[in-house]
This record gives sequence, structure tokens and C-alpha cells, in this order.
Amino acid sequence: MAEDTVDNSQADAADESAEAATEESAEATEAAAVATEGTEEGAAAGGVEGEAAEGGEEGAGEEAGEAVAAAPAAVEAEPLRPDISFVRDIVNSGGSDLKKCYQCATCSVVCNVTPDDHPFPRKEMQYAQWGLKDKLMGSPDIWLCHQCSDCIAQCPRDAKPGTVMQAIAKMTISNYSVAGIAKAAGNLGGTLLLAIIPTIIIIIALAAQGSFGEIPRGHDGEIVYSEFMATSKAIDPMFSFFFLFSGLLFFLGARKYWRDMVRNHEASGGAKPGSFLSNIGPTLSEFLTHKRFRECDETEDRANAHLLVFYSFVGLFLTTAWAVVYFYIVGWHSPFPFTNPIKWLGNISAAAGIIGITMVLIYRFNHAERVGIGSYFDWSLIITIYIIMVTGIGAEVLRVADVAALAYPVYAIHLISVLFLFMYMPFSKMAHMVYRMVALVFARATGRDTGVA
Amino acid sequence: MADKDVIVVGGGISGTTAAVEAAEAGLEAVIVEKNPYLGGRVSQLFRYFPKLCPPYCGLEINFRRIRNNPKVSYHTQAVVESVSGAAGDFKVSIRKNPRYVNEKCTSCGECVKVCPVERDNEYNFGLDKTRAIYLPHELAFPMRYVIDMSVCKGSACAECVKVCKYGAIDLEMQPETVEVSAGNVVYATGWNPYDASKIENLNADTIPNVVTNMVMERMAAPNGPTKGAIVRPSDGKEVKKIAFAQCAGSRDRNNLEYCSAVCCMASLKQATYIREKYPEDAEATIFYIDLRAPGKYEDFLRKLQEDEKVTMRKGKVAKIEEDSATGDVIVTLEDVFGSGKVEERFDMVVLATGMEPAAVSDKPASAVLEKNGFIDAGASADGIHAAGVARRPSDVAESVQGATGAALKCMQTVREVSNV
Repeated sequence: MAEDTVDNSQADAADESAEAATEESAEATEAAAVATEGTEEGAAAGGVEGEAAEGGEEGAGEEAGEAVAAAPAAVEAEPLRPDISFVRDIVNSGGSDLKKCYQCATCSVVCNVTPDDHPFPRKEMQYAQWGLKDKLMGSPDIWLCHQCSDCIAQCPRDAKPGTVMQAIAKMTISNYSVAGIAKAAGNLGGTLLLAIIPTIIIIIALAAQGSFGEIPRGHDGEIVYSEFMATSKAIDPMFSFFFLFSGLLFFLGARKYWRDMVRNHEASGGAKPGSFLSNIGPTLSEFLTHKRFRECDETEDRANAHLLVFYSFVGLFLTTAWAVVYFYIVGWHSPFPFTNPIKWLGNISAAAGIIGITMVLIYRFNHAERVGIGSYFDWSLIITIYIIMVTGIGAEVLRVADVAALAYPVYAIHLISVLFLFMYMPFSKMAHMVYRMVALVFARATGRDTGVA
Repeated sequence: MADKDVIVVGGGISGTTAAVEAAEAGLEAVIVEKNPYLGGRVSQLFRYFPKLCPPYCGLEINFRRIRNNPKVSYHTQAVVESVSGAAGDFKVSIRKNPRYVNEKCTSCGECVKVCPVERDNEYNFGLDKTRAIYLPHELAFPMRYVIDMSVCKGSACAECVKVCKYGAIDLEMQPETVEVSAGNVVYATGWNPYDASKIENLNADTIPNVVTNMVMERMAAPNGPTKGAIVRPSDGKEVKKIAFAQCAGSRDRNNLEYCSAVCCMASLKQATYIREKYPEDAEATIFYIDLRAPGKYEDFLRKLQEDEKVTMRKGKVAKIEEDSATGDVIVTLEDVFGSGKVEERFDMVVLATGMEPAAVSDKPASAVLEKNGFIDAGASADGIHAAGVARRPSDVAESVQGATGAALKCMQTVREVSNV
């Protein structure tokens, strides 16, 4: 084949670094794999068994021969290390159609968020089929993917590249946190088991305060949640502890991810990347408008849904910080009157949250036919956020309506679900906020992706 | 005893072959062809691969065999409406649509000169027009004019009737339905080019200089709409830089799920058309997923690989845009053996669209179709056979061999039935 760089690669390999040679031999073997795939395709097509099989096998033999020929140049380089269990994990994490891929690269072309140079997700499909875990874990590209699903809609083989990318992303989370917990968070049984811990913590905390006795009331007989669960003695220490602990895990995971990316980048001849801090500014400002999300064709509407949820979280975080100021500095205790701006911020944020997550839900169903409904990993986060939003708003409404018999239990569920989210952030899809940010900053620091226009 | 041993549905290269092979072995065969001419898709091709000879070589041989053999007959503009009965004695109902021109026609062409109505010429995929009375194409068999009554003004005009010296035109002809009994039915219903506008990401129907491979055949053919000039539909500019987008709609679950089997060879062949037209400076690039040149066809592939003006790049064309200022076509792909997304500009892009079995729209009465619409003769009743692309995607050589096989199957049925 005149244009096949398999041929050229042999000449080039001698001149280039040993690492580069590995790359070349990967390409050659890749060609072999593709040719073999072609054979299967021919048989599957039912129309051309004999001919396609013949052509395919011949191609495979030829390319494989070249792969072997290229191998001596690669002796000093790291050999490829296929990790079969990694492949199995991807398949079990939603990437079950991975092996349908025949490397046509439609996905890379229809993707609007990939860099043009070594685009994703075609190469990731190849790495994933081969179980090249190292190439995929320390790669920014996994998280540059925004799940637009344009690739899924256009894939001629229904190999669902976007879903595979997400399965790999999920494994990144597992790889850079505690694998056992992440694995549990990836299925319903495990999630329910994990949920027992925050439930028990909240129950113990309530029992210790004697809140299971008579219905707690404020001075004027109104519902006051801090009488049920004390702010300074219970909520703040517990939630702060788990929040900060998750923050620490995030920091450790993100640092390791960054270092792995630097190592892979430099090993393939890349220049030393810029620092994290000097590149985070533009990345954050991109988040504020969700510019990148808007590049999606197939699921363009997700941008606004995600934006609402994003700002809801930001708003609720600020509300909490504000309440801390009121409580510890000004000495005001909740509940605050509706005339106080803190209530405005809190309620607007909650409204944005419930509207946003409902939009997420509706859009998912609308897009399901063309791009699938999403994995368990997506749904556990969506449902967690839903429970938090519904119980949070519900607790406020029931408090004002003075339905104590329901208000306190709903509030308890709200506390459990928020604690659940905090505790397992580093293991759930929530971790995407950290890894995606780190990946985007890294891509900017290496010049791989300097932002969307 | 049935009227005929074999009814062949479809008079393309496969159908005519099945009929003459059966007839030459002593069976009575009749061909039912829906077009006003025999020869089917093959007649539309400029050249065959790999020998690059004109398809009329093969077709003429079959037509001569038909003319010389009293055991084979044919109906044009005829469709099978129903099939009942069993092997050895199928009752086949054939609807014969009127041609409005009888056997007295000498193809003198005087009628065309006076016909006031134009119609799109579907034989050339709408690239040119014919009059309402027209010769299907220059080498049509039978060599006889036909009237498209959907546009003809009928007896209110009748200009053609007035100028025809031979009394060959009869605007009052009516359709008729005939019942024929037959021992076997061979479906050789062939294929239609896949509708490229269905390929969501390629915008094929909105960009004039993106054409299908069958349009390319008509453009290259001396009897085609451009008289063999390969020029851009938008502005008539000579095509010097051409791209072939392989698997356009084939091997694609959103379009045709299967490999159409001939498109790789067809594009390689078409690359020779343009290299021959402009040997000095024409450049052809073939963008592929896998190049399939099975068996001896590999020699053909190797020959093209030696031509430095023919480039083959692994990576499917997944986006096509038009530069409206120049009419150029810009394709985007990921060069899988290169390093990234590539945008390249061409004078014209040929989509290597695949073959969709005609049975998908024809819905043959008595055959069992597999999921893609090809006829599964094995699953169909005894005495029902399939040949050519109706059976599976195949090139001309394989279709002809398969048609001979179908003729053999017919002989076996005839023999079994007479032994009972």
C-alpha cells in the first residue's frame, strides 16, 4: 500500500528514538489487527466470505510480518504490555461493544472537542482493545472527552466509543483512588452497602443528641433543624471531616494523575509542560461558560443542563460558606428569614439544581435512542443529586409548612445523602470535576489543547 | 407439464446468464425484466474490472445467445405480480406494461425530434434529459424506443405518431397480465445504488461535486451524459484531483450493514479512468478502512499502488464540506497511519456507495429474504432460486458463475419433478 506508513515506519524507526520505535511497531501490529478484523467483518457481512477472508488473512500475514520486522528496532524500548483484565474491566464497565470497532476513525472526525493532532477516541479504542492500561491511565485525552456522544451516533459499528471512553474514565477514577471502594460504587449492590456507612453515622449522631425522643422544637415551637442535629457539635465537624478527607484523596489522586501524564508526555518526546497553577485560570474561565460543552452536536442541550447543576453546586457551596460566617463570626443561627440574602442565594441555587438535574434526566431519555441511556456510573450520581435536591427543598418546604412528622425524617435523608456524596466523591462520577479539570489544565500546559474558540 | 421450465425475474447480467445457460441445456426459459431493456446495471458501467473492457463485450454475447435460441424468450417492462404453487408447477402472474412502441420500430429517431416533452434520464441518474419518447440508451436491447407515459401528453399531442413512417407508435396500448406456469423461479432482481443522501454525516445530496460511483461510471462512459468527459457537475471543470470515499454507507449499521464487495475494486478501476484521461497531472486518492482486493484482483491493486499519482490512505472520510467560492470539496478524516485529523481539498469526491438489493423495494412474492434484503434461496421453497446481487453482493464474474449455478439448480428441479 503506497501510503501505508507501515512501510515507511521501518525506515523511520531506525532514526527515531527507541520510544518512537515502540509507537511504530504498535502501528504495524495495529494494521495486523485491523486486517484480522476485516476478515471477521467479511464473514459477518455474509456477502463476501471467501474473498474478504482471503484478502484479510493475506493482509494480516503481511502486516504482522512487518510488525515482526520492525521489532528489533524496538528492543530497547518498553514492550507493549497488554493487560487482559483491564480489557475485561472496560467491557464490564459499559464498554461491552468495544471489540466491534474496526478502526475506521469516523469517531475522531465527528468529535468536535478533540485536538486534531492524535485525536481521540479512535486511538483509545485501539489501546483499550489491546489492554494498554498505561497509555490510557496517564492520558489527558480520556478526560478531554465531554460525552457529547457524536461518536456514538455516527459509529458505523455501534462500538460506542464515547461509552468506552467513559468506562476508561471510570477506571481512571478507580486507579487514582481506592480501587475497592470505586468498584463498589460502580454497581447497585456495592452502592447500597456504601450507603449504609453515612446512614449509620447520621443515626448515631442523632441518637447521641437524643433526637429520637420527642419532636424537637425551637423557642417559639417552630421546626428548627439545629435542635435536631446540632450545627457546631455534629454537622460541621462531621461534614467538614469527610469533605476535607475527600479533598485530600482528590489531591493525592490528581497529583499522581498529573505525574503520570507528565511521564507519558516526556517519554514520547514532549517538552516539559508548564505548571498547573499557571494554566488553571483560563481553564476555570472556560468552565464558567461551558464553552466546550457547546461544541457537542448530538447532545448540544446538555450544556445548559450541566451549567445549571454546576452553578447550583457553586451557589450551595457559597451559601454554606456564608452560613459559616453568620454562625461563627456574626453569631446568627439558622433558620434565617426569607428576607436575608443568604436565603435568596440558597433557594436560587436549589432551584437551579432541581431544574438542571431534571433537564439532565429529560435529555438523557430524549437522546437514549441514538446514543444510549448512560451507564450505572452516570445514574448513581444523577440519582444522588436528585435525592439531595428533592430532600433539601422538601425539608425547607416542610419546615415552613410545619409538618414536623415529615420534616425531620426528610431532613435526615438529606443529611445522609449529602454525606454520602461527600464521602464517596473521589470514587463516584463526581470525581470528574477534579480529573477533567486536571486533564484540561495539562492539555493547556503542554499546548495539546489551548481552549475552544 | 408447465409452460416453462424457468422464469427468471430480472434481465441483467445474472438473469440473462441464468436463462441462456438453462436454455442451452434444453430447458424452456423466459426472462421478466422491468426496464424497457435488458442488461441491467452492467449496461450502465463504463468498464469491467480487472480487464477494463467495456461491459457490452459480455452483454452482447448474452444477447446473441438469446436471439439465437428459441428456448429463451423475454418480456421487458414486465413485473412478476404473484407466484403460487410449488416446484415443478409455479403459477406466475406477469404484468406487462405497455411500451407504446411496437416491433416495427427501426430506431430511426424521427419521433424524438418532434417530441415536446422532456424528462429526467434515470439511466444517467438524472444528469441529463430525454424526451418523453426515447431510446433507453445507445446500445439498448431490444433496440426500440419507448414512451414514458407519466410525462407524455398522449393523444392530445401525438406528434410522434404523425412522423413515424413505420406505424410503430400506438398510444393506446394497454397493460396486460399473463399467467405462466413454470417449474422454477430464479430471482435475479439485482440491486440499486444505495441512496447517498441517507448517509447522515456526508451531506452528499447538498454538495454538487460529490457524486456516487455509479454517476462516475456514467460520466466516464462515452455514451453517458458528458460523453465520457470527467468534469465537475457544478461548473464543468476538468477533474484533476479526485477522492474516493470508500465504505460510503457500507459496513455501517446506520446504513448498509454489510460489505458491498465491489466498491474497493470499483474505485481502483475508476482511479484508472481519471489517470487515463489526464495521465500527466490527474491525482486520485482513495480513503479506505480496509482495501479489499480478493484473489487475483490483488494484481490490479498492486498495479495502482505503483502509480505515484494514486494515493491510498487509511481513514474513513467522515465529514465533507464544500468551499462555495470555488466549488471544491473538502474532506476530513483521521489518517490512521499518520498523526491526526486531515483536511484535504479535491475537485470532486466520489462516494463508493454500496449495493442495496432491489428485493428491499421489490419485495418478491415467494422468496425468503435475509435481514439485509438479500434472497436466501436455501430458506425459500424448493424451485425458488437466486442469482447475482439478489443473492449477495458480488461482482460481474461471480454473478455470472452464480447464475450458471442457478441454472443447474433449475435442471435438478425439472428432473426431480419428472421422475416423480
